[in-house]
Amino acid sequence: MKIKLKDGFVLRQIADTWVVMAIGETMMDFNGMITLNETGMFLWKAVGEGEELSALVSSLMMEYNVAKEQAEADVKEFCDKLVEIGCAEYIA
Amino acid sequence: MLYKIADLFAEIPETGGLASRCRDYLYTENVQPNIVIKEELYNPSKYSPMISANNLAYMESGRQFCAHLLEYSGFYLHSSAVALNGEAYLFSANSGVGKSTHTRLWQSVFGEEAKVFNDDKPALRLIDDIWYAYGTPWCGKDGININMRVPIRAICFLKRAEENKIRKLNQAEAIQRILPQTIYRFKKIDHLDLLFGHLEKLLRVIPIYELENKPEPEAALLSYRTMSGKDQI
Repeated sequence: MKIKLKDGFVLRQIADTWVVMAIGETMMDFNGMITLNETGMFLWKAVGEGEELSALVSSLMMEYNVAKEQAEADVKEFCDKLVEIGCAEYIA
Repeated sequence: MLYKIADLFAEIPETGGLASRCRDYLYTENVQPNIVIKEELYNPSKYSPMISANNLAYMESGRQFCAHLLEYSGFYLHSSAVALNGEAYLFSANSGVGKSTHTRLWQSVFGEEAKVFNDDKPALRLIDDIWYAYGTPWCGKDGININMRVPIRAICFLKRAEENKIRKLNQAEAIQRILPQTIYRFKKIDHLDLLFGHLEKLLRVIPIYELENKPEPEAALLSYRTMSGKDQI
């Protein structure tokens, strides 16, 4: 399964905190914003135009040297959250 | 008509009750305005069709002013701002949580020394390395504002609770709370970048707190003591 970010979101940094915000037309439907920690920011950038969940798990394992189960859980939690708040979608 | 608001010269249409709202800010000398509010840009489609002409003028002039404010090291924070001992304390929250209630408690506890100078949308500006909060005509339904600027001591987000408790927020928490209480729905990405630049500078020097509270005098004492670092005024 793949995940893909929707258009109209930008990632910005304020001091040490990363924030995802909606701009343009998107902002009318998106009633919030998300702050990301370092892992979240890494995954957001990795998702980009669209990425396999399994590839995200591998990237996370390599970048942060974490076990597969942990990486899978982190990726799933992150992706579910993005989809839930409406800035990404799962594609087959 | 020309006004001086938040140390900026603003030309504002008189229609929609704005002349009377802005009268304490009137500027009579002839200078080039920094900001020109345009009636033809008022957009009624964003509001209920029932909105009155006065309310529309108030909302839309405020929106235009706050968008321009970003270009002058400033932004607004949805909050009730109270001045005490020459320092400003801003209490922010969603509508209905008790911003005004809390600053009224300060007035009842500390008396006339505590002045609410903007009850809804103070302008915040960084001038010569100092963050000031300003009274402006965009100050909420009760029209409570004083044409003054006060250096900001602290910002506090309010939460209703059964027990009074205050703590300092870390940076991520502060950003999460500040953004929804300022302009953050942007059409233009350069406006977003301006705001983020200002916020970064603000967070470096201004402490941000969260107060869980019941609307009672003890909550006002707790927020004052914690944020001022003093036991009494």
